[in-house]
Amino acid sequence: MDLPLSPILLYAGCALGALGVCISLPREKISAYLIGSVIAGAALGLVMLGLGLKNPDALPNLHFYLFSFIALAAALRVITHPRPIYSALYFVMTILASSGLYLILSAEFMTFALIIVYAGAILITYLFVIMLATEAPSEETPDALTQYDRVSREPIAATIAGFILLGGLTTMLALGLPNMKADPALAAGDRQLAFMSKKVEPVLKQAGLLKAGEKVVPSRVETTAYGTPKDGDATLDAIKIRGADGKERLLPRAEWPKDLSLSNTEGVAFSLINSHPGAIEIAGVILLMAMLGAVVLARKKVEMDEAAMEAAVKRQRSGGLAGMGDDELGVDGPFAAPGVGEGGAA
Amino acid sequence: MSSVFMPLTMAQGPLPELMSSVTLYHYLFVSVAMFALGLIGFLTRRNLIVMFLCTELMFQAAGIALIAFSRFHLNHTGETFVIFVLTVAAAEAALALALVVLLFRRKDTLDGLSWTDMKG
Repeated sequence: MDLPLSPILLYAGCALGALGVCISLPREKISAYLIGSVIAGAALGLVMLGLGLKNPDALPNLHFYLFSFIALAAALRVITHPRPIYSALYFVMTILASSGLYLILSAEFMTFALIIVYAGAILITYLFVIMLATEAPSEETPDALTQYDRVSREPIAATIAGFILLGGLTTMLALGLPNMKADPALAAGDRQLAFMSKKVEPVLKQAGLLKAGEKVVPSRVETTAYGTPKDGDATLDAIKIRGADGKERLLPRAEWPKDLSLSNTEGVAFSLINSHPGAIEIAGVILLMAMLGAVVLARKKVEMDEAAMEAAVKRQRSGGLAGMGDDELGVDGPFAAPGVGEGGAA
Repeated sequence: MSSVFMPLTMAQGPLPELMSSVTLYHYLFVSVAMFALGLIGFLTRRNLIVMFLCTELMFQAAGIALIAFSRFHLNHTGETFVIFVLTVAAAEAALALALVVLLFRRKDTLDGLSWTDMKG
């Protein structure tokens, strides 16, 4: 059996990592974070070294090891740091390191989407909520941590469960992956260029492959269940060119100019629009529902007395808000009188 | 050439020397390890916000696995699905944080254990 690394090393690494994570989780008495993280780091190094020893060429891959070490170390700190705000900042570090991994895998578009959306937007929302929903520090102990931040719940059982999952999953991967083949039928490659007439035309003109009056015709997009062109169909691997007289000829892939290449963004966009148009609609609905749900959940219910309610209704009638529901509008929500909204929250 | 030991290299760009011969298994190991850390964090931490931060960590691990498989098959579908993972993560963050704010207003604490009476 051709395993990516020896099982003994893997299980030893898992056990050592479990020990390290377990030690570094926040405790009541002393937080032995430093010792725990050293042990966990040693375990990670052991497994990585095992992976490297099995395929010696893999050792000089500095960037992969660097980024994955930073990502996992910051992830460890996310779950062990007692202060939530530092956890969130370490999570930003995990995001940045894993976007480095994305870049190594030549997924440039997702790299920057990840940094902008995750580190830029989602994490800032987290920081806002952490600032918003934290108990105010008392006068005498401004740096005190709350009880539930200082002590973790069931650290030993949770660590054992997590590392049993890790051991099981890595074993399954090690046993299953050698049988997995990269399906050439699934490879998109530069094939999608045949559908992009506007991009291809200037390049072909510059290379002298397109005579005067000739035009590139986008091929008909034929897809299999996986959303990729059918294999073995020669017309799909060629750019279709229509002359001025209406005659069509094919430019096979071997004759394409060298500088005609598909960028990562174009490939992702083509896959997104061509193969998953329904999923985009569903994603839009999910985001809309999340927005509505967040507005409804976070709304403050304001209780007003009779006089304030009458005043609100009167102001609303005179304020030209015709067409909106009269009865419930004055009772709760954002239309409450400014002075009344403060005291009534439960 | 199409075994799991096929190196995942950059499709274009000047860095192939340093990047060669890290296989799919390496990336999946990083992904699984990050997922396990997120799970442990979700189980052990008692602060509601940190618990949801740990679910984001698990989303992130899934993203790395998807991108690695996408590179392995030389196909963009995996990258496309990371976009949807980002969408779901954003929706989850909005809803979960709204819930956290709501729960904090109720009991003035972020302790997850203070809601154990909901077990019934």
